Formats: sequence, structure tokens, C-alpha cells
Amino acid sequence: MSTADATRAGPPAPRSLRVALAERRAALGAFLLTAPGLIFLGLLFAMPLLQLFALSVEGGTTEWYARVFADGLYTTIFLRTFEIALFVTGAALLIGYPVAFFLATTTPTWRAIGFALVMLPFWTSVLVRTYAWMIILGRNGIVNRFLLDYGFIERPMTMLNTRFAVVLGMVHVMLPFMILPLYSAIVRIDPDLARAARGMGASRLKIFQRIYLPLTLHGVVAGVTLVFVVSLGFYITPALLGGGKVTMIAMVIEQQVREFLAWNFAGALSVVLLAITLAVFWVLNRWVARRVPPAAGQGR
Amino acid sequence: MSRDTGMTLTRRTILLAASALAVSAAPTLAQEPPKPRQIVINASGGAQAASLRQSYWADFEKETGIKVVDTSPVDFGKLRAMVDSGNIAWNITEIGGQDGFRVTQMGLAEPLDPKIIDRSKFVPASQAMTHVFSPSSYSTVIAYRSDVFTKGGPKSWADFWDVKKFPGPRSLRNHPVDNLEAALMADGVPKDKLYPLDVDRAFKKLDEIHPHISVWWTTGQQPAQMLIDKEVVLATGWNGRFYGLILDKAPLAIEWEGGILKQGSWIVPKGAKDQYWSMKLLAMMADPKRQAQNAMRLGYSGTNTLSEQYITDDKRPHLPLEPGNLAKQIWLDQEWWTKNGQAMAERWNKWMLSKQ
Repeated sequence: MSTADATRAGPPAPRSLRVALAERRAALGAFLLTAPGLIFLGLLFAMPLLQLFALSVEGGTTEWYARVFADGLYTTIFLRTFEIALFVTGAALLIGYPVAFFLATTTPTWRAIGFALVMLPFWTSVLVRTYAWMIILGRNGIVNRFLLDYGFIERPMTMLNTRFAVVLGMVHVMLPFMILPLYSAIVRIDPDLARAARGMGASRLKIFQRIYLPLTLHGVVAGVTLVFVVSLGFYITPALLGGGKVTMIAMVIEQQVREFLAWNFAGALSVVLLAITLAVFWVLNRWVARRVPPAAGQGR
Repeated sequence: MSRDTGMTLTRRTILLAASALAVSAAPTLAQEPPKPRQIVINASGGAQAASLRQSYWADFEKETGIKVVDTSPVDFGKLRAMVDSGNIAWNITEIGGQDGFRVTQMGLAEPLDPKIIDRSKFVPASQAMTHVFSPSSYSTVIAYRSDVFTKGGPKSWADFWDVKKFPGPRSLRNHPVDNLEAALMADGVPKDKLYPLDVDRAFKKLDEIHPHISVWWTTGQQPAQMLIDKEVVLATGWNGRFYGLILDKAPLAIEWEGGILKQGSWIVPKGAKDQYWSMKLLAMMADPKRQAQNAMRLGYSGTNTLSEQYITDDKRPHLPLEPGNLAKQIWLDQEWWTKNGQAMAERWNKWMLSKQ
């Protein structure tokens, strides 16, 4: 369209055409650059996903989906899973924001130390970290021993094998996913903005409300989305820290796949989980697109 | 055909007999199929892998020159995917003790070759299976802290349920298998009248114990770990997981009464390569002396009844098929669980959610 309009405009046409062609070539180049990634994702992500979907409707039946919603069991597990993911996201945001803020505004030395502390657990196996929590939270764990020895409590507290332990363990795993997008949002904000606001007598809270919060909303939404979506699929942490009392949907899917070979049903459960996840993603994206002008996030 | 002689002699006898019977086939039969470079065996891993290597694989490698490669873990879903796709990476795989019937029914296993593997002296339950090779048995038993219950631990499932006589946090597996049987035994159902399971009665009995279960375990090493950490004082678990600890004088004890026996189960996946050599390896695992070696290392009894005599006296009381222990236990009914497993799992999950 634009090319056609430009041609009709007269003299500058050849140049515009050349520009348009160059643009197209650049776009093609960019596309070619992404091709390996796209092929990789297509083969290893999209294809299995389609197969999964095909399994869930194998034989043209919707009975597997009917079973997902048939009695309260699976819908309840879905709800519980979302509750936990929500708790984890909230806690990660509350803890992650101040950390990201500190990292973005401190001296280079402290920033290096801070990043090392954030990233070190990130590189440690989830299983190892989960076992570490078992040692810390157990009936004879570090926390209980300390509290007992100093007489703060008389009987060991039950911390391990509860929903609390699951959320704690998951927040620990997910924190870097929250901190990194937040950091990159905060570090882009011109410190002069805050300085100017302070100069004009704004309180710290006001500065946060009027400058930092709106300018980092993109980062917040990115972090929240990432943490929430990944949390939905957690499996080993709830199994080990929840003492079997916390059931998340991924655990049920795994059971159907490995133990009962009920792949059609597992496919249906997975497709429902995926659909809900995409819906959440879409809503968050829409919401932030409407709330924040896109420039704000990129502003410098 | 003489059964009491050693493996090599048996094989020679078989080959001779076979070539005498089928004259035309004699030249090919006398020759063994070409040797592969390696045999891939998929099993549970952990302490078991080391013992299997010492008890069986090392000798197989020495005798045949074929390398044995271990992989883990046991994965029924993966087995089905392999057989379905015809891309079978395992020559032999272990499967869950409750899956022997199902694996045969679903056609995922090759039949065992009785000409190569001699199971004539195996316990009846292990002899009966056509596609599943069971060289060992394990049992789900009650384990407890002996330093907590100094006047004697629980003697039955009823005791496990008795929170007044045996107070303290407990752990059961987060799975209906074994627990339904245990609940019914605790409720007074005689051992020979358990199957078909009265499921409603079992769940009603489980209602009673639920508040006292602080952990529903998922992985095999959890019960022993939690007992050692004193996270719980009573738990169920697979006897071999406590065996080494008890021999090392950890303050743990197990009760065989009401133990639920299962077969350690191995199969050759349907359509797997180099089956002759896989069967040869299984034949080695049928050898009573080697089974005894493995049993003494792991705590899982050999199923060849001749293996018993090679067990030293200090280990004998700790093995599930020791006659005294065997008499106190029951065999899990695989057929019942194959038919009802999925429905039970759903009911179990529902029951668990209703308690949250």
C-alpha cells in the first residue's frame, strides 16, 4: 500500500521505492536471522504441542475434555494451582522489587555482589535447593533447633510439608525471574527525574508513585507474567516440600503420563492448562497496553 | 534336561538337544547370534545400580566381552513411547513391581525364552509370569525409630493406626497401592480375604489415620531420610531402603507383619535389539549364587529358592523371603491393580483434596 501511494506522489517515487525495497530486504534479513530460532521452536515446541492437542481429541471425541470438567476433582486442582502461583507471584514481587531497586541504584561494587547473590542460586539445581529447604525447615531443622535451644518455643513448629513451605521454595526458585525484568526497567529511569521531584518537595512515596511505578510497570508486568506462568507448571518442589498435601496440576499430568499411560487425558489436561495460561498472558498484556503508553517503558 | 547343574552345562545340554531334534537347523543353532558392542539396561539407579554391576554385570562383561550400560530411572511412559515408535533404546528395562501384569497385557514385552533362562527353582509367583523376569522381591513394610519406641515397636498395621499406643508423626506413601491393603489389614480383614479390596472400607479406615500423617511420601528414599532426620517416627517404605541403615546400626527397625510383597520386575521391550544376549544376561540374573550376592548387598531377596543357602546368618532376618518373614506377609495382587489402578488414583487424589 505505502509503496503504491508513494509512486503516485510523483518525483520522489524512485527513491521511496528504493527505500521500501531496502526495508523489505532488511526485514527479510532479520527474518533469516531468526530462522534457526524459529525452526528450533517449531520442531521442539510447536510440533509436540500440536501432537499433544491431537492426542487430546484423538478419535474425534471430546470425552477427555468432558472428564477434565466432569467432577470437581480437576477443576479444584486447577484452582489450587492458580492460588499457589498467585501467592508465589505476589511474594516474589514484594521481595523482588526492593532488591531490583537496590541493584539498579547502588554502586557498581554492591551491584556486582548483589547480582552474584541473585544469580548463584539461579545456577544451582532446583532439587538441591529444595533439599536445602528441607534441612532448614524440618522438625529438627536449623530454624526449629535454634528456636528450641534459645527457648523461644517448646515444641518444634511444623513448617516443612505445608503449603507455606511450597510457596517459600517456589519463591526462592522464581525470584531471579522477577528481579531481572524489574532491574532492567528501573535502571533505565533517568535519576534526574527523581532528583527533580525531590527538589520540588515530593515525598519519597510520591516519587515512587508518580515516577518509578508508572515507568517500571512494563517490567512489573513482564516479571509477574514470567513468574506466574512458570509457577503454574511446578512439579518437584510442591511434591517434596508439600509433604503430599499440596497437589498441583503438573503433578497430576505427570501421573497420568507416566503411571497410567493415559496420554489422551493428559493431553486434554495440558491443553486446558495451556489455554488458561495464554488467557492470563493475553489479559495482562492487554491491560498493560491500555494502562501504559508504550513509550513510557522504553523512555530514557 | 538336567536343571540342577550350572548355567553353562544347561546351555550346552539345550544346544545339543536342540541340534539333535532339528537337524536341518543345527548349523545355525549351534552358532550364537553376533555380539553387539553393548547392552543398555534401564533400572532404578542409586545404590541398586552398584550392586547389580557387582553381582551380575561385571561377570557378564567378562564372559561375553559385551559392555553393559546403565541408564535410569524406570519410566513406564517412556517404555510405551519407545515400543510405539519402534525406536527402542533399552535392551532390558526394570518396571514397577505393580506393572508386571499390565506390561504383558499391553504387549510391551517380549516373552522370556525358557531355553535360555532357567526359572524352574524360582518361587511360584515369579515362575508364573511369561514375559516378566523377576530375580528379586521387595516388600512395603512398617519402619520405625527403635530409640523412640524402646518398649517394642508396632507389631501390625493395627498398631500403626494406634496413635495412643504409638504416638508421633507418621508417613505413608502418597499413592493408593499398599495403603489400601494396609488400611484393610488394620481394620481386621484377614490377609487371605483382602482381594478384591473393599475400597470404601479402606478409605474409611484411612480417614482415621489421615490427621496423623505429617508427610505423604513420593520418592523411595524419603521414608528412610525422614526417619533418620526424626521428621517422623513411623513410616512405610520399601524394605531395602532401610536395610543398609539397619545393618549400619542406625536406630531403625522394621516389622514384617503385614508387609506387602512385590516382584522386582525386568522385561525385554517388545522389538528390542539383540534379544538373545539380553536373555543371556537375564539368565545370569537367575543364578542363585549371584542372586544371594545381590540380596545381601541390597536387602531384596532372590527369587531363586536355591539362593537362600548362600545367605549368611547375619543378613537372613533382614530379607523379605526368609521363611519366617515370608509367612507374615502378603503378595500384592497385580491383576487387581491393573484393573483398578487409575480409578483408585482418582479416588485417592479426590480424598487427598477433600482433606486440605
